[in-house]
Amino acid sequence: MKRRGGIMLASAVTVAASLASTAGAGSNAVASSQAINCNSKLKIAIVAPFTGGAGFLGNEQLSWAKYAVKTLSSKYGLKIKLVTGDTPVEQGPAIAQTIAQKFIADKTVVAVLGPSTSGNVAASSQAFFQAGLAHISPSATRTSLTKGASKEATSAFFRVVPGDYIQGPTDANFMIKQGAKNVVLFDFQEPYSQGLASAAETVLKAKGVTTTRQSVANTVTDFSSFVTKVPSSADFVFFPTQKPADAQNFAQQLLEQGKKAKVFGGDGSNDASAFKVPGSFVSNFAPDISGFAYNKSIIAGWQKDNPKDTLGSFGPPAYLSTQVALNAIKKACDAGKGQIKDRRDVVRNVKKIVVKNSILGGDFRFSTKSNDPLNAKFYIFQIQSNGSYKLVG
Amino acid sequence: MDTFIQLTLNGLTLGSVYALIALGYSLVYGILKLLNFAHGDVFMVGTFIGFGALQLLGGTTNPVVPAWALLALITLAAMAGCAVLGVVIERFAYRPLRDAPRIAPLISALGVSFFIAYSMQLLFGSELRSYDMFSLSGGALYTDGFDIGNVRVPMIRIITILAAFVMMILLWLLVTRTRVGKAMRATSFDREAAAMMGIDIDKVIVFAFVLGSALAGAAGVLFALRIPTYATIGFLIGLKGFTAAVIGGIGSIPGAMAGGLVLGFAESYAQGYISTRWSDLLVFILLILFLVFRPQGILGKADIRKV
Repeated sequence: MKRRGGIMLASAVTVAASLASTAGAGSNAVASSQAINCNSKLKIAIVAPFTGGAGFLGNEQLSWAKYAVKTLSSKYGLKIKLVTGDTPVEQGPAIAQTIAQKFIADKTVVAVLGPSTSGNVAASSQAFFQAGLAHISPSATRTSLTKGASKEATSAFFRVVPGDYIQGPTDANFMIKQGAKNVVLFDFQEPYSQGLASAAETVLKAKGVTTTRQSVANTVTDFSSFVTKVPSSADFVFFPTQKPADAQNFAQQLLEQGKKAKVFGGDGSNDASAFKVPGSFVSNFAPDISGFAYNKSIIAGWQKDNPKDTLGSFGPPAYLSTQVALNAIKKACDAGKGQIKDRRDVVRNVKKIVVKNSILGGDFRFSTKSNDPLNAKFYIFQIQSNGSYKLVG
Repeated sequence: MDTFIQLTLNGLTLGSVYALIALGYSLVYGILKLLNFAHGDVFMVGTFIGFGALQLLGGTTNPVVPAWALLALITLAAMAGCAVLGVVIERFAYRPLRDAPRIAPLISALGVSFFIAYSMQLLFGSELRSYDMFSLSGGALYTDGFDIGNVRVPMIRIITILAAFVMMILLWLLVTRTRVGKAMRATSFDREAAAMMGIDIDKVIVFAFVLGSALAGAAGVLFALRIPTYATIGFLIGLKGFTAAVIGGIGSIPGAMAGGLVLGFAESYAQGYISTRWSDLLVFILLILFLVFRPQGILGKADIRKV
């Protein structure tokens, strides 16, 4: 009798776990080729995490995309409305599919900014491609989205920042330059961190650095046991999380256990308000844009609209993505004599866009070999004792 | 050896929190024979109340009271808030179903769990919220403490473990040495007979929810001192608390304490010696093994019935 009770309890747990894991998935939408009048109000969608652990990233991108739409649309003779799709990283890629279907169904959406994260690009790119919607990400960096034998994204996907094929080696070479002999690399059982950790690990191993790999579920928040497994001799812990609060917690727990290794976060932990343990490192695809004189008026205008926000590194690429999208829409409108006959016309024009004196520095154009930016690179920052980020590489 | 000591310390810290949560499951199950699956979400609300109280008291960078008072006040706030929440849950989700078939309150419990988690997410977003104890007293909670061999036992872990054990001892004294404790034990043993002896069953049930939920609130704060929290954290932590209660012997107070510690150690050693990737899987395999081979748990009594 008691054993039967036990089995009933086990069943209850199973039911509870199943209920928790259910997630919606949209059905495939069919693209339409109805013409869109360029004098009417067109929509650009931005797909990013506005809530959740990476909410800081999406909100920063949104503020810059809004500013770009506000200041640039009229220059191109366009009336644009920015619409948003929230993809909290905690909900995984399924939410990106649902949101993609929503924007695909809206025929006035002519381009998409994002998705912001690599997993969400992989989950939704096929649907966007079938609907002929250009999706231009300001932050999805996974290498396999645009390169390799089995590319995860389609030809309708573009990114204005370099991929992890540059970030991983850049980070690894920086650690080697700092004298690293022993590095522990983490991944979070999701594609972004797995790809980035592998890219860094390959370079470290090739240059004779001892490496250890640890894999943590994306839901783990107590890293005590993982920290315990970090050898005392480790110089760096490569921790490419998309949740800066986790990087902060991990760095604190390293100190708590008396480990001397420094935390090296990827672009996903680049948030000075959440990750602030001095001595740690982060990498990012954008430099400090205030170093370019021609950005002065843009930054001033954005700060006027967002007086409570500080200048970060996720926002400016969103400005550039918007600029590329607006340019491509304008070209499609010109070619269609005031009409976008098919949303694919926008896709076809994205690749041709050149932005002189781009906000990220220098002229921007796409590579002829892939839908990645030409000659882009990653930058490395170290967290100072006052919590500020200093460009060090 | 250092690794073993550190993993033991990790397990003790985690197990103390699991034990406090397991006590809430056991208290309610002991009296109502109800699996309160919303208990993990009460824990989550406790972490949020603690966070809110911390902000009201100036946060960790500019606290308006001394550090010890800050920690005590946020813990008390979370305990009080969760106790009220526990009463509300009992009154509106469980009491109307008290005489319904056992599956009805179980489904109601799951519904309450999702309602609380997603309401909190709607109200406060799904951002990670950190108490940022690293900034309190110049990081003293992380740097002060004592050493066992080469392993540092920092103040923040000492506080977590001691506070949890003090609460467990107080609960044990309350249940075994007071009138209300005797009433709880009587109700747990035979609800109808207890009612006939003049015990107000409703009051005892409400008191069990108050106690269990207050302990969940305290567990929430002790957990969130070291680890960021978010709106849906309660489900998995709650399942682990439930697992601890089952391992210890659901309905048994010493069993819940033992189950919490066993689970904490099992999780920590599994992460340290077997695989960090599969530690949750191993934890729930442990649950299934107990349910199948020793359903009464470590300290629970076998259910012997007259046939």
